[in-house]
Amino acid sequence: MYQERPEWEDVIPLPQDDGALPLAQIAYTDEYAEAMSYLRALMAKDEHSERALEITEHIIEMNPAHYTVWLYRANIVFALGKDLRKEVEWLNEKALRHEKNYQIWHHRQLIIDKLDDSTGEADFIAKMFQKDAKNYHVWSYRQWLVKRFGLWEKGELEYVEYLLEQDVRNNSAWSHRFFLVCGNGQELTEEIVQRELGYVSDNIFLAPQNPSPWNYIRGILQRAKLPMSRIEKTCTYYAPLDNPEKIKSSHALDILAEIYSTIPEQKDLAIQSLDLLSSTYDPIRTNYWNYRKTQIQKAAA
Amino acid sequence: MATTSSRAPAATLALHVEKHVHYITTLDTAKDTLSYHLSEHLRINGVYWGLTALHLLGHPEALPRDETISFVTSCLQPCGGFSSAPGHDAHLLSTVSAVQILATIDALDTIDTTLVAKWVAGLQQEDGVFAGDEWGETDTRFLYGALNCLSLLGKMELIDVEKAVEYVLRCWNTDGGFGMAPGAESHSGQIFTCVGALTIAGRLGEIDGEMLGDWLAERQLANGGLNGRPEKLEDVCYSWWVLSSLAMIGRLGWIDKEGLVGFILGCQDEKKGGISDRPNDEVDVFHTVFGLAGLSLLGYEGLQEVDPVYCMPRSVTKRVLGN
Repeated sequence: MYQERPEWEDVIPLPQDDGALPLAQIAYTDEYAEAMSYLRALMAKDEHSERALEITEHIIEMNPAHYTVWLYRANIVFALGKDLRKEVEWLNEKALRHEKNYQIWHHRQLIIDKLDDSTGEADFIAKMFQKDAKNYHVWSYRQWLVKRFGLWEKGELEYVEYLLEQDVRNNSAWSHRFFLVCGNGQELTEEIVQRELGYVSDNIFLAPQNPSPWNYIRGILQRAKLPMSRIEKTCTYYAPLDNPEKIKSSHALDILAEIYSTIPEQKDLAIQSLDLLSSTYDPIRTNYWNYRKTQIQKAAA
Repeated sequence: MATTSSRAPAATLALHVEKHVHYITTLDTAKDTLSYHLSEHLRINGVYWGLTALHLLGHPEALPRDETISFVTSCLQPCGGFSSAPGHDAHLLSTVSAVQILATIDALDTIDTTLVAKWVAGLQQEDGVFAGDEWGETDTRFLYGALNCLSLLGKMELIDVEKAVEYVLRCWNTDGGFGMAPGAESHSGQIFTCVGALTIAGRLGEIDGEMLGDWLAERQLANGGLNGRPEKLEDVCYSWWVLSSLAMIGRLGWIDKEGLVGFILGCQDEKKGGISDRPNDEVDVFHTVFGLAGLSLLGYEGLQEVDPVYCMPRSVTKRVLGN
């Protein structure tokens, strides 16, 4: 308890005033309530000290989602000129324990930005991804790192490939690949497009019904201003319209419908693809497939 | 690979209105639990969620008006922003909830709206996005929140709307969706904030609704529920983020309504009330309001109409915005 410790003697704790609304009243455990009342007292005078740092740690330990205390902690760390590497180490443990927390990642961004050095970050992120390779906060943070430290060609693509080998259905990793290939204003040369077409078809082969590589290549072709017919062969391989029993991917059918809808003499094939989607391969979206059919019929009329 | 549907038929399930009202109005009785005090940073959001749910259920009187005003105004900080609970720092998300609560109970005249609007406007950054507080964390959630509350306050002229729109458009991905920052993965929650911001700014025409609608419709799974990203699990809260976005772009019909109604109703706790993220999980007020708001958008009988842009009763936004 803080009230029994001499180094806290000069602080008059500020208790919580919850107001009258029952739905809003806050009940605390005694330990949390006491720590918070001392924190409020220190924050009221904006004290930057070792004991202030200690109390932020205590409260974060109990409630890491309390955003105000993180803000206060960052100010103290910078004001006291604390060892930022040690702060990062301390944060690692917190991040691994509280995967859904936003504040930890923003705090990390402030610290690493000040450190001006991203050494060790990729290793730590790898540990986070071992727990959840689709963690949105961690991916956002990784993209910030790539931009802040210019890591576009420093093993990022290889790392994405490693993650997709672990789980080809990791849409976050596919999204990061798109960010790496297109996010730095690079020109999408024919060589890059060829490389991406090859990579995508290898991965579609592993899981034809996985939406991510299909969405990915659609994005690449669109960005490169190339027609969707560049992947027509891949689509007919996974969705042979002359042998519907062999269809292995609703996404292939979807793209085939898109390709054929632009060619007047093939519009029957487009309609056939959409009918197969609504009758058999993706019936939950029947309303949407029917809408697409009406659009084709309207354009033809 | 033909898919089969395993969902429960919606017709056999009913909405337990009285149980949900009871669940929400007795939330405070759980206040000696650890999880309750750990959610202190969400306290004012919790009041907004509970209040909105009660209004949609047709029981607006279930939360006492005077006490609601007194709690909300006790969270107003001298800077003009609201905190999540008295004695905390101001944050944009708390401020949005405060303004939404006061607008809903027609009590915006109890605060200095100019002071509040100025504080919110001050959070806009050079590139058009908004920070959540003085700390500087930026996110399209904050940008939407700022536009939401400034429009309710009738003070949109205090910010650079053009720059905010430009920022949102930079978060637009080639799959048709939006992420939390330029280049970030498309996510249903972020899509709601970006489409909501564009709608409030009157700039929805800038995006391709066909492509976005395709991505959003793809979120429905064979059991009727919606997920937030490809290859993730379904969750009731996405009934709101995905549906409201589809409603804003006029493509709500692309969802299998019966399937989704059945999924949401199947997430009710039939004994104590409340709605959970997916069947048989623990209920909470967050999933309760978004489940109800989703049902309202689907035109479920007996619920008040919800505004897809604000997640508030449509009767309220009509009164406040005059449209």
